Amino acid sequence: MELKPQETTSTGPELNKNTVEKGMSPHRIALKRFMKNKLAVASVVILLIIIIAVLCAPLFTDHNPTKSNLTMIERSPSAEHPLGNDSSGRDNLARLLYGGRISLIVGFSAMVFTLVIGVTLGSIAGYYGGKVDAIIMRATDLMLMLPFLVLCLTVVAILEKVTVGILVMIIAFTSWPNLTRIIRGTFLTLREQEFILGAKAIGVSDIRIIFKHFIPNAIGPIVVNATLMMATYIIVESALSFIGFGIPQPTPSWGNMISEAQSIRILRNSPEAWIPPGLAILMTVLCINFIGDGLRDAFDPKSNRR
Amino acid sequence: MNLKFKRSWLILLSFVLMLGILAACSGGSDNTSTEGEKENEEKETGPQMGGTVVGAMDTAPSGSFNPIFYEEAYEANIIEFVYEGLVSQNNSLEFVPNLAKEWKYNEDHSEITFTLEENVKWHDGEPFTAHDVVFTYKTMSDPDYIEAGGVRASEYASRLLGYKEYSEGQTDEFQGVVAEDDHTVTFKFAEPNVIALSDASFSIIPEHIFKDIPVADIPAAPESREPGKVIGTGPFKFTEMVQGEQYVLEKNADYWQGEPYLDSVVWKVVDQAVILGLLENGEIDFVADPNGFQAADYEAVAAMQNVEIIEQPDFGYQIMGMMHNHRAAGDMTLDPSKWTVNENLKDPRVRQAIAYAIDRQAIIDGLLYGRGIVQNSPIATQFWAYDDQNPPAYEHDQDKANQLLDEAGYVDVDGDGFREDPNGEKWVLNLNYPLGNQIRERSAPIIEEFLEEVGINIDLRQPKEAAAYFEDLEKNSQDWDLYLVGWSLSSGDPSPEGLWGSKDFYNYSRWNNPEADKLLAEAVKPPEAFEQDYRKEIYSKWQVEFGEDLPALILYAANSLWAHNSRMKGIDVLPYQFHNNPHLWYVTE
Amino acid sequence: MFQYIIRRILVFIPMLFVLTVIVFALMQAAPGDAFTGRIDPTVDPEVYEQRREALGLNDPIHIQYWNWIKGAVVGDFGESLIYKGRAVSDLIAERFSNTLNLGVMTLIITIVVSIPIGIYSARHPYTPLDYGATAFGFFGLATPNFFFGLVAIYIFSIKLGWLPAHGTVSKPGIDGFELFFDKIRHLILPSITLGLAGTASYMRYMRSEVLDVLGSDYIRTARAKGMTENTVLYKHTLRNALIPIITLLGFEVGVLLGGAVITESVFQFPGLGTLFITSIGNRDYPVIMAINLMLGFFVLLGNLLADIFYSIVDPRIRYD
Repeated sequence: MELKPQETTSTGPELNKNTVEKGMSPHRIALKRFMKNKLAVASVVILLIIIIAVLCAPLFTDHNPTKSNLTMIERSPSAEHPLGNDSSGRDNLARLLYGGRISLIVGFSAMVFTLVIGVTLGSIAGYYGGKVDAIIMRATDLMLMLPFLVLCLTVVAILEKVTVGILVMIIAFTSWPNLTRIIRGTFLTLREQEFILGAKAIGVSDIRIIFKHFIPNAIGPIVVNATLMMATYIIVESALSFIGFGIPQPTPSWGNMISEAQSIRILRNSPEAWIPPGLAILMTVLCINFIGDGLRDAFDPKSNRR
Repeated sequence: MNLKFKRSWLILLSFVLMLGILAACSGGSDNTSTEGEKENEEKETGPQMGGTVVGAMDTAPSGSFNPIFYEEAYEANIIEFVYEGLVSQNNSLEFVPNLAKEWKYNEDHSEITFTLEENVKWHDGEPFTAHDVVFTYKTMSDPDYIEAGGVRASEYASRLLGYKEYSEGQTDEFQGVVAEDDHTVTFKFAEPNVIALSDASFSIIPEHIFKDIPVADIPAAPESREPGKVIGTGPFKFTEMVQGEQYVLEKNADYWQGEPYLDSVVWKVVDQAVILGLLENGEIDFVADPNGFQAADYEAVAAMQNVEIIEQPDFGYQIMGMMHNHRAAGDMTLDPSKWTVNENLKDPRVRQAIAYAIDRQAIIDGLLYGRGIVQNSPIATQFWAYDDQNPPAYEHDQDKANQLLDEAGYVDVDGDGFREDPNGEKWVLNLNYPLGNQIRERSAPIIEEFLEEVGINIDLRQPKEAAAYFEDLEKNSQDWDLYLVGWSLSSGDPSPEGLWGSKDFYNYSRWNNPEADKLLAEAVKPPEAFEQDYRKEIYSKWQVEFGEDLPALILYAANSLWAHNSRMKGIDVLPYQFHNNPHLWYVTE
Repeated sequence: MFQYIIRRILVFIPMLFVLTVIVFALMQAAPGDAFTGRIDPTVDPEVYEQRREALGLNDPIHIQYWNWIKGAVVGDFGESLIYKGRAVSDLIAERFSNTLNLGVMTLIITIVVSIPIGIYSARHPYTPLDYGATAFGFFGLATPNFFFGLVAIYIFSIKLGWLPAHGTVSKPGIDGFELFFDKIRHLILPSITLGLAGTASYMRYMRSEVLDVLGSDYIRTARAKGMTENTVLYKHTLRNALIPIITLLGFEVGVLLGGAVITESVFQFPGLGTLFITSIGNRDYPVIMAINLMLGFFVLLGNLLADIFYSIVDPRIRYD
């Protein structure tokens, strides 16, 4: 799933001019290097297992993750409920599995949205420079100062329901500045390269230059940042849910499962309720980070030191 | 019936226990308390002088220690040791003398004259007089009082003679409270007043301290905030504070009811998470108002050797309101003739079916670990006015609920598992609830499930934080059906007015029942209403009306759970609060 | 250079202005105000309406903003709507010292842990300790800090009973050294939690920086001149490797102050973060505005300091 962006953008004969290795497209080389990175490949496998587990949750549990049960409140684990029940008597295992869907979907979609915003603004700023650049950069400065929580809270308060979609938009809308800066930086260096100047000289349109030359050449940083962003967003989603500004109960998410441990009693007596979702986040994020690192090394010919 | 029996038995038991404690501390010889053995032991040693007790609260008081300006229970924890009113309440919620020795009404109950205790002194040695009483009520009626942040006027001063004119600045003459001489004071009301004693029960502040401070500046004045400068007549003086962490009350050795046994009472602000640990190892002696400890921790506290639990019903309850009518958007008036009927809940059988469908005892047993009671009318169960017998009890009965819904024509015609309305149209009730009370938050999805079990399609709305929720409930609830809210009640008078009259702001259900309104008015109408039995009868009728018409289902009243170290003696709790006569508290060591 | 600094500081003003406008508008767009959440049947709702009127909450938004900014430019942030009679500056000052303690402690832990381990890893790559450090780096970045905080409380506070998990002091009324050490003890778990991600990333950063420098030509030259390994390391390598680290720390100021929100709520730590969250819930606008302005200012200042520092240590970078 994470490898997809590479494949779709791996063509375009003109853009091979600045690569050193011959005979293979740089993206094929990157893929080959990536496959040699055992940690990264193992992470892909584990991540796939996690994804399958949460997507096929009904195969692993018969319980409804949102169904309360007044007779099962805060029960310890049993054969029927291997991770026990939460403070509303809901089955923790079911919540763990179904909750993973939210975390992964939010992380992935927010990453896609941020990419769209960040790449667009970053390329415009980096390509045109001058006033446009200045405006966009001031906007990024401002966004970096904006209080994320106030924004979330306000949107939550104005809207009837915080849905996955809205959460994704909020995260993307507040997180684009960093990516924008990175893309802009890459573009600024590319801009002065001869093949771009050449393309401009022969009257290739701006859009075409951006899409045919800039973006494919910036694909390395984009893909690497995309994976790291996805990892970050999974943590952001869980943190928001933890302090109560995320997807509301009774919909499960890993973050709001952990937030049950804000009660000292659950923290002390029921580690089985809050440690698994924490480990699930940890594993998922770790895998994505390893994949990201693998991609970085794969794209960067210099990075041979671990 | 069985359940009801159990409940009343529980209440009875808690009263017996309370009496036991009361008897134990009064040290009298003529009681047959169940704790006889303990009592003998105490009689031998007797209350000792000296010692300090440490109380814990989980949130720091905001810092206003002036009775006329404070707003929160955390501040009350300090104020109640320092200030006193003319009258106070006893265990049966009757008004008893405090700073006033005795009182008498005039003919039509529009005036009440108090004779004050004569040897009462403020903490700074100045004598307490009738002028302080006048000053207190005059300040609460001041045109600047509300703008300065005071919120007590409507409850205590608004019925006084000439309140309106004085508070609106039309006159400089304050007629409501008059000092006849230094130790006699008369409260004059605009109309004969059934709750005159409740009105006169407010804590008195010293005139000589505040007279030169403009009302608008009182909240920020050191005399309202700082230890040593806060002056009352109570058994303890507020002497020391570490803002947000510790509040020290030292005994007032010249206290007019006798020197307190304890040297000091110290409040510590301790996180809820660690309170129980500190209670067990003796670092704190008591945890009580406003939050006590959690029902889920009951077993753990009960297992502590050195700790005793006090459990009694709380003055308040959680309800599920049912919108009878809707107020138009933008209409902030309280005019029932402009309301539109909520078609979704129009049929009383539907509302009754909803009441039958929800297993309230199961909610209490599950979410409250059994530490709460079902109550069937919105008057606190501790009051004489609460009627346990006549209003419908709505014990959980799914068949009854189904039957009522069928009768009303709400049946599932399209076979999707949910009932349609009598016209065969889709019928969905939304359920709204606020954040801020975890047990209430958890109860919402459970209520949804109970209702869906009898085929009512529920749209459980996203919970909102209080500020947003009540904004919507007040202004934008035109499509609301069911809503959750919790009320805490005043212990002064059982009148349900303010919450359930058709023209009451907080009548969020927009319940408009002329019969019920009439009863509410009759219940406080002089002269009949001076007879408690008369009021009781009227309120009983009103409670039946409420139960049948169901502007709300009272979900549960959680119990207050308080705990204290067994070395702490002399505790005599009131139905609504832990501290009562703290000058009689003592420790054994 | 001086002119550059002045110019940058002048840019602060419009930036902060826009920030306050946006935050103010957002808070106004949120439903409810400081009084809607207070429903007390014993209090006539008219009372709250009068207070709204008195506090100007019913005024048009531009008038409210004007009233706010009039005070703000002269440093008067008004009174809290919730903590009656308390100046916002007072309230913030009280919480700020706690957050500042937490931030400083976090920085100390971050530096003390990440730099030596990073150097060690670079000098002894592919040793068990290096692998351990690398693994720690990955875990540190992948663990949500609220989860780490809870695990830390569970292990060190509940199971082992070594460290306190909540608040800033264990009992009021102590002073001097006892108070100092008590505060430190209370800071340990929160600051480790808050510093986890930072420590992990600095460690990785330090390692690669030192590796880079050790491999560079001038170090080889220095070594050829007969300098010992340690001299080379500490005289040349460290100075160069520390530059980017310190610069990053400049950026971190804002992150530490703002990022403490979640850590503070895990440990129920009475700092700015928890004040911020409760103020949002209470719609205590004056407090929210002041905290936002302060955080915004610190972010800008941190960026500026980082840039200035850059140009001082690396003369090739010039601002004009």
